[in-house]
Amino acid sequence: MGSENNISNADESNRMWASASFVGVLIIIGMPLWWKTTEVYRVSLPYEKISSFKPLSHFVTTELKVLANDDATASKIVSEIQKAFAESDIIKIKIEKTVMSERQQHILRSVVDMEKAVEELASTLDLDQENIFHVVQKKSLSHNIWVGNERIMFFDDEKASETIVKALDGWIYQTSVLRGSRSDTPDQARSTRFPPESAYHITLSIVHPRPDTMKVVWNAAEAVEDYIGSFVDELSSLHNFTLKSQWLHLLDFDFQAREVKEVSEWGRHFAVRQDRLSLLLTRLEERAATHVSELSTINLALYIVPCDKAPIIIYDNEGRKNPLSIQAFMSPKWGGVVIASPPAEQCSQQVREFEPSVGQIMGAFVSHLRELLGITKKDAIEGAHLEPSRSVSPRRWEVDALLRIRTLEQVTSAERTLQSLAQLLEEISNIVINDEVGASIAAAVSELEAGAGEGAGADAARAGRAHAHAQRAFTHPGLLALLYFPDDQKYAIYIPLFLPIMFPVVLSLRILLLWFMGKPVHKEKTD
Amino acid sequence: MAFTNLMLVFIFNLLYLSLSSGIEIPEEFQKSNHTNNWAVLVDTSRFWFNYRHVANVLSIYRSVKRLGIPDSQIILMISDDMACNPRNPRPATIFNSAHEQINVYGDDVEVDYRGYEVSVENFIRLLTGRVPPDTPRSKQLLTDEGSNILIYLTGHGGDGFLKFQDSEEVTSQELADALEQMWQKKRYNEIFFIIDTCQASSMYEKFYSPNILATASSLVGEDSLSHHVDSAIGVYIIDRYTYYVLEFLENVHPNSQRTMSEFLAVCPKSACLSTVGVRKDLFHRDPSKVPITDFFGSVRPVILTTDPINIVETPKRKKKTENKTKIQVKRDYVPQFPMHLVQVT
Repeated sequence: MGSENNISNADESNRMWASASFVGVLIIIGMPLWWKTTEVYRVSLPYEKISSFKPLSHFVTTELKVLANDDATASKIVSEIQKAFAESDIIKIKIEKTVMSERQQHILRSVVDMEKAVEELASTLDLDQENIFHVVQKKSLSHNIWVGNERIMFFDDEKASETIVKALDGWIYQTSVLRGSRSDTPDQARSTRFPPESAYHITLSIVHPRPDTMKVVWNAAEAVEDYIGSFVDELSSLHNFTLKSQWLHLLDFDFQAREVKEVSEWGRHFAVRQDRLSLLLTRLEERAATHVSELSTINLALYIVPCDKAPIIIYDNEGRKNPLSIQAFMSPKWGGVVIASPPAEQCSQQVREFEPSVGQIMGAFVSHLRELLGITKKDAIEGAHLEPSRSVSPRRWEVDALLRIRTLEQVTSAERTLQSLAQLLEEISNIVINDEVGASIAAAVSELEAGAGEGAGADAARAGRAHAHAQRAFTHPGLLALLYFPDDQKYAIYIPLFLPIMFPVVLSLRILLLWFMGKPVHKEKTD
Repeated sequence: MAFTNLMLVFIFNLLYLSLSSGIEIPEEFQKSNHTNNWAVLVDTSRFWFNYRHVANVLSIYRSVKRLGIPDSQIILMISDDMACNPRNPRPATIFNSAHEQINVYGDDVEVDYRGYEVSVENFIRLLTGRVPPDTPRSKQLLTDEGSNILIYLTGHGGDGFLKFQDSEEVTSQELADALEQMWQKKRYNEIFFIIDTCQASSMYEKFYSPNILATASSLVGEDSLSHHVDSAIGVYIIDRYTYYVLEFLENVHPNSQRTMSEFLAVCPKSACLSTVGVRKDLFHRDPSKVPITDFFGSVRPVILTTDPINIVETPKRKKKTENKTKIQVKRDYVPQFPMHLVQVT
């Protein structure tokens, strides 16, 4: 009997140890292992930092130097400017006032020509420093204020303070455009200019519908290189540009022009309605092959009108004739077109040769490029004179303003992107966040924290980097919810596999516990 | 007494006139601030007997192209090749009518995603912009915050899903999430969503992003029916809803004044036999004031140049001086037979 007991005891303890090992392997080792191996790989992200971003709180800072003949004028002007910009949440101006030295006052008194005055003054003031603008008094101006190409504004006397404030607001600092670049909904300027990118292609296409009837003399490569190249060199701190040119032959477009008789060398002109012009862009898109490159392309097209359809004059939507000698139009976020008609004497000859005027046409293209890259048109201000631009390069203070606008735009866009990405990743808990996405987000957050969206120049570069990192993180191809199992589907796969096994294991736990505690497992038979 | 009556009537008339002139005449069309138009046209079904779905999507493609949207802004996804299908008695053509008048395949069709490339994953990647880095530009949806997008889906569907390639499905929740991600990333200004499948309206029920106008060929529980058979080809050639849409679009030209509400009413129950569903609550403009060219045409805004730059002196770009010394490269032929490798015994 005892040996039977011993055997049954040994048997029982074997059985118990077997059950215990099942429990050990399945529940204690297996379940945590399964949990760990089916865990979605998610790099930890700085969610608190991202949610603490406030895109609408960013502003730009800039410096202003006021120079006047005496202290009273300077103080008056400074106080007027300070009062006007005190409540501005978009720009913070650090104003410095000085009384001009004898030499400077002498220069301004003796030199009448404005450009020369600027040149002479440039030796005493440092006009090349970015983001610093000078407001200088010059007596006996023909207007209240005068603004040219350099970072300097001349004003007559303290009565011009109101005009100065208006000019600073509308021309130099462009607070409305700054506000538009920061806002959620796009304003007119943001709808016109290209979205911020590190590089663009600029393609000049010369469209020649009837090459058999007329020879066009135009050196496209040189025109692009000289004119457009000189323009974009000034913006090299913002974007990289690749300049290309191409000829598109036999690309015809029916303008549906109406012939209008008139007294001129041609005796007629063809009237084209403005609403027909957008279809020309569609036709150009077919052949211009602008999607060959990965980057956005700014299309500039020169359409040479054949002799039998020349000259073309564009009539706007109200039916008014375009009075300029150059017929050109621009489409926001696409590019610009110039329509060049040959002169009548060329068309009457046997061998027709047309040499379009390079300066005039490139002038139109440069004005298109200015708007497409963010340099907006300046509205006229009463009493203020803005010297018209006579060179290809943008004005110095326009480049400063553009830097500010792009910085603000990129910083707010990066913050909004990160916020929506963080919200998305928190919501969908089974998206894998791999190392690349995590690194991009971390890099973007660190750039944004370091920059804090002020100033221009070095911070423009930082804003650009933050924007690029945020874009890369958001559009990473790995962030696709489809690729990963949602939690309910995960359980639906594993439960049918493991539940039948776990059943007896769990049920045997009670018996195991009793055995370990030394209690008799089976009720002894009592007679 | 009569005089006071007359005076009262006169004053009353004056008041009425002055009040009514205060009511402003509503604008002809409500302005949209979109700068360009895109179209995403998807056919999701395979096999020869689903010829009509390919004809559907190609007919919409032709209409959209005719109204001005360039190929670079149309993403066309077709799951199976009907034109070159061995069962096609008219090879290299696809017709959308038994009269076989228009070959909607044509010479210049540009299909961006074809065959097995049309999958749920690629579709969602296209919408959200999370495409692999080497994707060509013609396969990407390069929209921005000013783009109006026309999305047209056709194929076989059910309550809450659309079947892709006869093997996988995209659910209405996934589609709604994808559109929300597009909204978050400012990838559209407005979307017009058309779907022509069975129980089609279930696909737009879950949308929750703003500025979407959606229409479906049938409600939940109804089937969308096909229109007619072409006995020469042997299959149904076009679906009812798309047939009436095309009839409507034939009368639309690039300067058309037709409105979206006319489009939404294009197929009454007597013609379509299924009820056309419309979802307007996410769309903030009144469809009866939205021109059809806002979605179907490509009316790019055009701004006339009034102030070209008057360039006085010809600029010359400073050429970077490159120290390139021309090395004369000597070229000669490779030996015809590699004798150095052959052991000469």
